[in-house]
Amino acid sequence: MFHLLWLVPAIPFAGAALLMIFGPRMAHRTAAWIGCCSIGISAVISMLIAWQFLHQPPAGGSYTQHLWTWMSVANFHLGISFYLDALSLIFMLVVTFVSFFIHVYSSEYMRGDEGFSRFFAYMNLFVASMLVLLLGSNLLLLYLGWEGVGVCSYLLIGFWYTDPKNGLAAQKAFITTRVGDTAMAVGLYLLFRQLGTLNIQSLMQAAQHQWPHGSVYATAAGLLLLGGACGKSAQLPLQTWLPDAMAGPTPTSALIHAATMVTAGVYLIARTHVLYSLAPTAQLAVAVVGAATLIAAGFAALVQDDIKRILAYSTVSQIGYMFLGLGVGAWTAAIFHFMTHAFFKALLFLASGMVITSMHHEQNIFKMGGLRKELPLAYWAFVIGGCSLAGLPLVTAGFYSKGLILWGALSSPVGSATLWFFGVIGVLMTSLYTFRLIFITFHGPCHHKPSQKTGWLMGVPVIVLMTLSVVGGFVELPSYLGNHPWFTNFLQSALPATAEGHAPLTELGAEGIVVLAFFLGLGAAWFFFLQRRELSESMAGSGLGRALHRWWYTDWGMDWLYDRLFVRPVGWFSRTNKKDAVDLIYTGTAAVTRSGWSSLRLTETGRVRWYATALVVGTVIFVLIVALL
Amino acid sequence: MFALGLIGLLVRRNLLFILMAIEVMLNASGLAFVSAGARWGQADGQVMFLFILTVAAAEVAVGLALLLRLYHRFHSLDVDAASEMRG
Amino acid sequence: MSSADFTALLPLIVLSATSVVVMMAIAFHRNHRLTVFLSFAGLALSFWALWPAASVVPLQVTPLLVIDRFSLYYFGLIFAATAAIVLMSYGYLERHDVRREEFYILVLVAALGCCVLVAADHFISFFLGLEILSVTLYALSAYLTEREIALEAGMKYLVLAAASAAFLLFGMALVYASTGTMSFPQIANDLLSGGAAHIWVLAGVAFMVTGFGFKLAVVPFHLWTPDVYQGAPAPVTALIASISKGAMFAVLLRFFYQSGARDLHSTLLIFAIIAISSMLVGNLLALFQSNVKRILAYSSIAHLGYLLVAFEAGGKMGAAAGTFYLTAYVITTLGAFGVITALSSSGRDAEDIEDYRGLFWRRPIIATIFTAMLFSLAGIPLTAGFLGKFYTVAAGANSSLWSMIFVLVVASVIGVFYYLRVVVAIFATENVPSDAERPLPAVHAVGGFTLCALAVVLIWLGVFPHPVLDAIHRAMSGLF
Repeated sequence: MFHLLWLVPAIPFAGAALLMIFGPRMAHRTAAWIGCCSIGISAVISMLIAWQFLHQPPAGGSYTQHLWTWMSVANFHLGISFYLDALSLIFMLVVTFVSFFIHVYSSEYMRGDEGFSRFFAYMNLFVASMLVLLLGSNLLLLYLGWEGVGVCSYLLIGFWYTDPKNGLAAQKAFITTRVGDTAMAVGLYLLFRQLGTLNIQSLMQAAQHQWPHGSVYATAAGLLLLGGACGKSAQLPLQTWLPDAMAGPTPTSALIHAATMVTAGVYLIARTHVLYSLAPTAQLAVAVVGAATLIAAGFAALVQDDIKRILAYSTVSQIGYMFLGLGVGAWTAAIFHFMTHAFFKALLFLASGMVITSMHHEQNIFKMGGLRKELPLAYWAFVIGGCSLAGLPLVTAGFYSKGLILWGALSSPVGSATLWFFGVIGVLMTSLYTFRLIFITFHGPCHHKPSQKTGWLMGVPVIVLMTLSVVGGFVELPSYLGNHPWFTNFLQSALPATAEGHAPLTELGAEGIVVLAFFLGLGAAWFFFLQRRELSESMAGSGLGRALHRWWYTDWGMDWLYDRLFVRPVGWFSRTNKKDAVDLIYTGTAAVTRSGWSSLRLTETGRVRWYATALVVGTVIFVLIVALL
Repeated sequence: MFALGLIGLLVRRNLLFILMAIEVMLNASGLAFVSAGARWGQADGQVMFLFILTVAAAEVAVGLALLLRLYHRFHSLDVDAASEMRG
Repeated sequence: MSSADFTALLPLIVLSATSVVVMMAIAFHRNHRLTVFLSFAGLALSFWALWPAASVVPLQVTPLLVIDRFSLYYFGLIFAATAAIVLMSYGYLERHDVRREEFYILVLVAALGCCVLVAADHFISFFLGLEILSVTLYALSAYLTEREIALEAGMKYLVLAAASAAFLLFGMALVYASTGTMSFPQIANDLLSGGAAHIWVLAGVAFMVTGFGFKLAVVPFHLWTPDVYQGAPAPVTALIASISKGAMFAVLLRFFYQSGARDLHSTLLIFAIIAISSMLVGNLLALFQSNVKRILAYSSIAHLGYLLVAFEAGGKMGAAAGTFYLTAYVITTLGAFGVITALSSSGRDAEDIEDYRGLFWRRPIIATIFTAMLFSLAGIPLTAGFLGKFYTVAAGANSSLWSMIFVLVVASVIGVFYYLRVVVAIFATENVPSDAERPLPAVHAVGGFTLCALAVVLIWLGVFPHPVLDAIHRAMSGLF
């Protein structure tokens, strides 16, 4: 089965190529079939591969499929080859499966849109690029996939390009992630330069052998890669693009900006975990970034009024948890949370898509309300997804994965009580904003009657994801529930185990405090947004409340800050400083080339005798060279 | 002789004379081959000369056809008249 | 001649027979479509004949021609390129009110001339091949006699090509006079022993460089290029730019490698000067040019400069890199001129950069193909052009030609500028001319299909180059 690995990215890519070439002339039905089937087939192949991986694990826990050599000179070989281990297998499975259901959902959601086949072409291309990013065995393929998903994200955010606002959002996403990408490219170059190979596994081995613990190179490379991860995964301070990215179609938000692409940063750090083990400073930076982001985004989510923006901030906050997990060395916990998050966040986005469709593209939650009776499926999807997101104890997937991260933050030698405390505050915030969203949207008086009913093509994916959001957590049971760490055991061959250090609390006790935080948030949401709504409004209306509301609403004023800090100064600098020294180099080069052009141009006189003269002069010069030497 | 043809090529403006100058250059090379062949006592030089003669004839045939066309179009045999393309 | 000799010569025999058959067919029944079909079938048959020939090589057939894997590789390239040109010409000539059929005889004969050049290892066959090619190209450049610039192009090409051929001949005569042989490998014996008349051999080689340099269009023998490219009909320009240069490069490799003239200091110095000045002059001339055909002409000067870097690098690696680069370059120029061919109307060729403004919004597929070709010319990854440049640089680095690599990189950066100018025009959304202002002819199905195939091959070579690289490495056995 393993030899079919190349088909997993190849089939979506072939689908994208078909849709791009023949799409404009294709019936919508055909386009949807091609889009969904190509992903479906690759999901089935992934499953077969996973089946074999479980039953006959490859030697050394990893399988490399070398397809062909792209470039080879002397001792430098660059091949097109895929690398499969437990880590990339988990990512591959989640990506293909979630993508498949989202594709099915889109075939109804996007019905009637004039860019129907274009949408599927971009989505397929995205899946193919994402799989290349996950499976690539060398830095070049990784980078190719990394940029590929960036381009697809850009194209899909600006999918409805006739509205200039969407185009701006797409540009913002592209430019912001570009800042991170540049850092990452420098980091990758540093690795290649110092260790002399592009193969990721050889790089990691070489790093382990050549660099001492705490080495400067490892720290620098780790921090640079963290920069790239922050850009792609929307972490502080580069998180501002993700909420704006909600301008894209909702299935895009579900697939790219919630379940898969934004977790590429998590994958990158997990893939290069050796570097972070060598560089405690860089690893601490990952944890701090994660903790800060999860709190900041939690507060921002609390005051938003656009349903998709709330979910976007919640995505930022949940990826913050994953970074926290990576940062404290709870590698498998972070990957576990990636998986459960992919399920419940995709579910929440798809459900919000149902709400938005039936509300005629209204996204403001304060204009909704009382939708519980009208949209029962969407309501239950929100309840289950929301509970999983906030971590309802014992029965939801999110509870297990978040609990594992928090326990790691407290117990691992790298972790600390402060980081853990931030995480617990995050749990409180999560449950507060999640239930605020649910209570305001689905309870209370009904403002608008929804009109459209959604069909089974949108319903089935939602139901499947609902199931996964619940049972997805049972693959890893903590010590106080029988201690069955199947998921961690599976990942053991690819990622080191979480180190146990001294913890001030027992696992059960710590979990108790987390559960308390959850119920506190739920209770507060119930009290302020359902029971005594006017209380929350008067709080938001008071002087301090208004200021805080405004501050958090604008994501802690980050956009404003960036506008003042970077956009305007750079604009001012470039306007007032048009003729500076650096500019002189450019204008100088341009002038030199231009004068070169205009003087050389005079040689092209169009006269044949002049041409013959040049021929003769050239010959004479060469003969003279020969004679004189 | 080669140089003579070369000078003819460079100074004459009339296309007919230019073609003649080229012919002179080709024949000069041919002569060089014959004399080189004579030096080594081989027939190769003369064989080459025959080929040069044939090819020169073909070249002149195409050249004269072009010359007629150009004369029709520009009413002149001045090569500088046909220098529309430049730059 | 033995039967093995005939088998080895089979591709050439089939090709010559094809041109005769086409000529007869025209005499009996003048039909454009039939002519194209016969020409294409003949080329396909010649291509097929490479396999029987491959089973008997390497073989010296008469003292004049050598059929080895090197020849066969270039034969294949020439046949495929000529077939593409034949297919692209169909739609182009359909729009012109001229006698169309004879065009294909000339194209086939030009291909024959190229093949003879590739297989030549003797001065006589070298000269014959060169002249078969040149004489047909004079006629082809001026084929559309109603166009003034076509006549001008034909005249310029004739005068200069004939003059350069005279230089080449004179150089050959000098070499023959001092070595007493016209066969490339035998010249090596004399050259390496360093005879008394050494200086005359060197002068002869210097004269021959003029002949090579003219056909390859490198500085300072490049001045004709833009005028002929602009004046000649677009398919003919494609021919001049692709197989004529390709065959000349092949014979350059064979002559200088086999005769040992490449190892002379003076030769290396001359070609270094030519390569560096070609890279710079070509790219600089193209910078602000507004005629797309002239841009491609100037860019071809630069590209031949890059090729000469591979030649300078020498060894098996350099020859292989040069051959790969040339393959990529042939595909790319065919594609680029194919797009111009496809978009040209009966009155004039689509050569103004304004013709391409907003092309993407009017003809998305053709525009995408053209963009891919320009990217390959600029050497952007995942295209064949990138890998060609990569191997060239690698070969250069292997021989420590740092100054040339530096110039190559600088020149490539300048090059990206003008390729992107065209790409920007293709994707421009403002001032897109309407169909009334600048009418675009419908792309003929045959030509469109050929262009798509070229684009596929371009990407295929850029992503999965190994089959072709292996073939090239095997082909290099002919040189060493």
